[in-house]
Amino acid sequence: MQPAPPRAVERIVEFFIPPACRENVAGDLHERYSNPRDYIFEALTTVPLVVLSRIRRTTDPGVLLMEALLLYLSLFAGAWQFDRPFLYGEWGLFLISLPTVVTLIVLVLEDAYANPQHHSPLKPILQSAFAVAFAFGIQVALTAMDRALTIPRFTLIAGLSVGLVLIATVRLLFPPWVEPPKAG
Amino acid sequence: MNRNESAGQFEQLVLTAILNLREDAYGVTIHAKVEELAHPKPVSLGAVYVTLDRLEDKGFISSRLSDPTPERGGRAKRCYQLDALGERVLEESGVTAKRMWDVLVDAWGKDWANEWLKELGRGRKRRPYATRSAEGC
Repeated sequence: MQPAPPRAVERIVEFFIPPACRENVAGDLHERYSNPRDYIFEALTTVPLVVLSRIRRTTDPGVLLMEALLLYLSLFAGAWQFDRPFLYGEWGLFLISLPTVVTLIVLVLEDAYANPQHHSPLKPILQSAFAVAFAFGIQVALTAMDRALTIPRFTLIAGLSVGLVLIATVRLLFPPWVEPPKAG
Repeated sequence: MNRNESAGQFEQLVLTAILNLREDAYGVTIHAKVEELAHPKPVSLGAVYVTLDRLEDKGFISSRLSDPTPERGGRAKRCYQLDALGERVLEESGVTAKRMWDVLVDAWGKDWANEWLKELGRGRKRRPYATRSAEGC
């Protein structure tokens, strides 16, 4: 009987492999299995590169830049409207970039971990909503830790709401890549 | 030739491995072959996946999923094959490498070349190429 990795460990490794390449990468790791320690080491060195490669394949840098600008400008406009002194503060411009960065990271990971076999017209909207909600959640968590790191509530709600509409629109107009455009 | 129609050194190794493995080119076998070709440098499985993705995006290779096999826990293999553009790029890389080799032999002598060829032979013997998978793609 061939040695096989412990099922629980294999499940955890599979969870971190993007669905588009889960089948073949998990299969290759299974085939190369000799002992649990080597399997975990190989998974730890392989899966991050697989994820990065998937991110490269599913991320359109132009669209990502557009999303970043729109979200940042939405939060900037929110601060301008509701809390101008915050904007003039020492860290104001930097602090409004934090929810932008968090949202973009979540969007990039959502695209990388999207299952290419599941298509839904609502997907761009749901992905945007989840990313913005996650950024909001992080801000709420930061408020509990250190208020100096957060941006005012009205600014945040207004900025993220407008940002959500704009990002969802961009995603509907320029859907995320399932595979990157081929060269030539 | 634009940037997208050329291959870096590691990409050339992966293309050579796919050419050599023919019907049996998938992650595990490609990694083993590339390690053999790159000896004594270690090669990670992750680096091979990243390069395979890049080569596929460049249009040098194409892939398909095979049937699931029991030795892989019932999972399919992603099998790769060279496309016309990949073959052309590999051919050009081989010709360039041959020209370089000729210049080196000319500059450093035939004794140096023979020593290296012996060393390469020893390296190949040290690293037998094996896979648990009995059947190809």
